[in-house]
Amino acid sequence: MAEFIRNPVVELPDPNPEAHFSEEDLVFTEDEKSRITDWVNQYPTSDGAVMWTLWLAQEKFGFLPPEVLQLVATELSLPYAQVYGVATFYTQYYKEKKGQIVFDVCTCFSCQFCGGYDILAYLEEKLDVKRGHTSACGRYTLQEVECLGACGSAPMMQVDNGPYMHNLTPEKIDTVLASLEAGQSLPFVSITLPQDEDEMGGNRRTDADAEERYLTPPRPRQTQ
Amino acid sequence: MSHVTIDGREYEFEGPQSLLQFCLDHEIELPHFCYHPSMSVPANCRQCLVDIGAPVRDRETGEIRLDEQGKPVIQYFPKLQTSCSHIISDGQVVHTARSSKKVEEAQRDTLEFLLINHPLDCPICDQAGHCPLQIQAYKYGPEGSRFEFRKVHKPKKVKLGPRVVLDAERCINCTRCVRFTDEISGSGQLTIIERGVKNYPITPPGGSFDEPYSMNVIDLCPVGALTSVDFRFQARIWEMASTPSITTTNAKGSNCDLWVRDNLVLRITPRANPEVNEFWLPDEDRLTYHRFNENRPLGPSLHGETESASWDSSLQRVTEILKNSGTQTVFIASAYATVEDNWMLIQLAEAVGGQVAGYISHIEPGHGDGWLRTDDRTPNAQGCERLGLAPIDFPLWQARIESGEFQAIYILEDDPVASELCSIESLEDIQVILHYYSTTNQTLPTADVALPAAMVAETIGTYVNESGRAQRVVPAKVIKGMNRTLMMQMGLSRADRHGTPFDRWHNESHYIDCKPSWEIIPILLKALGAKTGPLGPRKIMRLISDTIPAFKGATYGAMDLSGVALPAIETEVIS
Repeated sequence: MAEFIRNPVVELPDPNPEAHFSEEDLVFTEDEKSRITDWVNQYPTSDGAVMWTLWLAQEKFGFLPPEVLQLVATELSLPYAQVYGVATFYTQYYKEKKGQIVFDVCTCFSCQFCGGYDILAYLEEKLDVKRGHTSACGRYTLQEVECLGACGSAPMMQVDNGPYMHNLTPEKIDTVLASLEAGQSLPFVSITLPQDEDEMGGNRRTDADAEERYLTPPRPRQTQ
Repeated sequence: MSHVTIDGREYEFEGPQSLLQFCLDHEIELPHFCYHPSMSVPANCRQCLVDIGAPVRDRETGEIRLDEQGKPVIQYFPKLQTSCSHIISDGQVVHTARSSKKVEEAQRDTLEFLLINHPLDCPICDQAGHCPLQIQAYKYGPEGSRFEFRKVHKPKKVKLGPRVVLDAERCINCTRCVRFTDEISGSGQLTIIERGVKNYPITPPGGSFDEPYSMNVIDLCPVGALTSVDFRFQARIWEMASTPSITTTNAKGSNCDLWVRDNLVLRITPRANPEVNEFWLPDEDRLTYHRFNENRPLGPSLHGETESASWDSSLQRVTEILKNSGTQTVFIASAYATVEDNWMLIQLAEAVGGQVAGYISHIEPGHGDGWLRTDDRTPNAQGCERLGLAPIDFPLWQARIESGEFQAIYILEDDPVASELCSIESLEDIQVILHYYSTTNQTLPTADVALPAAMVAETIGTYVNESGRAQRVVPAKVIKGMNRTLMMQMGLSRADRHGTPFDRWHNESHYIDCKPSWEIIPILLKALGAKTGPLGPRKIMRLISDTIPAFKGATYGAMDLSGVALPAIETEVIS
């Protein structure tokens, strides 16, 4: 966003992009089709299932080029334009090819104050990739994103539209990168509001066990 | 009957209705952009905010609580409401910007937001002059902007399709165009992409906005974001005069406005008529205005000679031909011509003693879409049917014309050669009298006397659409010998009001030397010594509506601008 404020130019999307996938690849399997049907049946119209289906397509194809959006539109019998509109609205649907691992570093207000840009610069240096780009090897994509809603544990980042990494420091980044290099998946860290820390063991999610529990550090009493 | 108080005045209403539409119906102006009566209400422009209060009811008794003066206590909504999405209920009190400072400020602030990234290129914008954003910014907007930063730049002159151009910077994201493609035309070709300051409507990659009704979004657009490829930068709105008319590309008779500058039709826009086309017009109807301006005849011609021919000499020649041929004359009516013209032709045929073959039907199977396009490509086939004329039986009349049975053929505003009723060779030995619109008419080379006829943009007359609705037209263009200011019904642009024929922009060649057929035929009738009957289309139509049951009630007064539904008749199904 900072870049956009300096140079507020919205580019026209390529009107005739080259296809990334061949026609044989552009199919949903029977299993996927039945999952889509289940989603469609949950809603009065098939519009409701568009986000589920886009997510499924992104997991299958890695990203959502126009031909994949067309496939989703055909599958749901929706206008292609509508599916395209939804896909472009959400930044977490990738419209272009990304690296295998995507780092979304928050540089919005709170994270910026707590050193979000330092973390971003450290990652740039460490991965040898500019913000908004994918590394030459195609393994990492580094992105600057707006608020991910975890200001309490700033600075933070999200990896692969998945786990949040909180209270980032260069050392913590090193360990995260090391475990990613080793092929390990990142742990889910539960962050709760201070008033909820004692309830539910500090984990508000019921579908995942927190391997690590974050507690708000005691703050010095404000003095005048 | 329920009551609602708007700005201190009480109004009665019945049934559930939107507050904005109620206000517009009662001539209370509320600024708005995204609301359109025929589409869903997204309430996303936030411009129609009003302050709404409702009487307080006692929780136990359910009665309206009264204050000391005996008036109901009004409790206002904590926030301003969008009047488009608000359904009014009994006893509610509404304050618009006229009676509430809060509303006035809210509307001003909304406009300030809308204008933050708007380029303000009104001096070069096609919409300027009839732009809701411009008008409402003048009336309700702030005096200036407090925004000091660079405006967001978005794609300009994006060709969405073959007929529509997008200027994304001007867009205020009212979504009217997207809702039109989703809800009205059903093509679903447009969408709003991206989010926040980056969003604008566009087609998806590889898509083209090419549906046959695409140009309606240009009229719907409340700013200059969507403009016509054809009309872009052609004229300013105040240079043109608009005249209500109907389209003649098909049998639907959609209502339209013809926009004329210096006697050239520059564009055609829809005119709302809930009985015919609501607010819409197909693209084919809009792009056919060139035929009013181009390839028009220079005057009457005798054997192809225009310079030596005058109206007097040509009509004299026609009289001679008709006198000689007498009963051996065949008359061809026209589904392009008005009811009055065809009726006059029948009178002429009776006076001469010739036969009326019928009208040439121009059916293009598969062209119609069940909405505003029809298979029939003529505007008045139904009018001909109601006059007792039938579509010409091609094999029969081809044979009769070729057999040399007729000495003369009188063709009203049609082209039998192009529609393959007769070949040029078969007409060589027959005297051909032709009323024609355009020099591209293929019968023209063989015509002995060619009389330029006024087109729908130049004549007064009645057309009956496929569902039997009689609609009359008034001239939008003037023809030679006609004065725009004296024709009281014609629209006048600023240039028409204040200009003179000596102005540099004035071009005499745009004034076509033609006559309406209802004016030509009475001259012939008089020369033939027959009764001319009523003169002038208004009187002709009164006689027709009095004497022919199929036209009952179709007087000019009853038709006015929105037409009148005629009694149903049994028509033969054209196979």
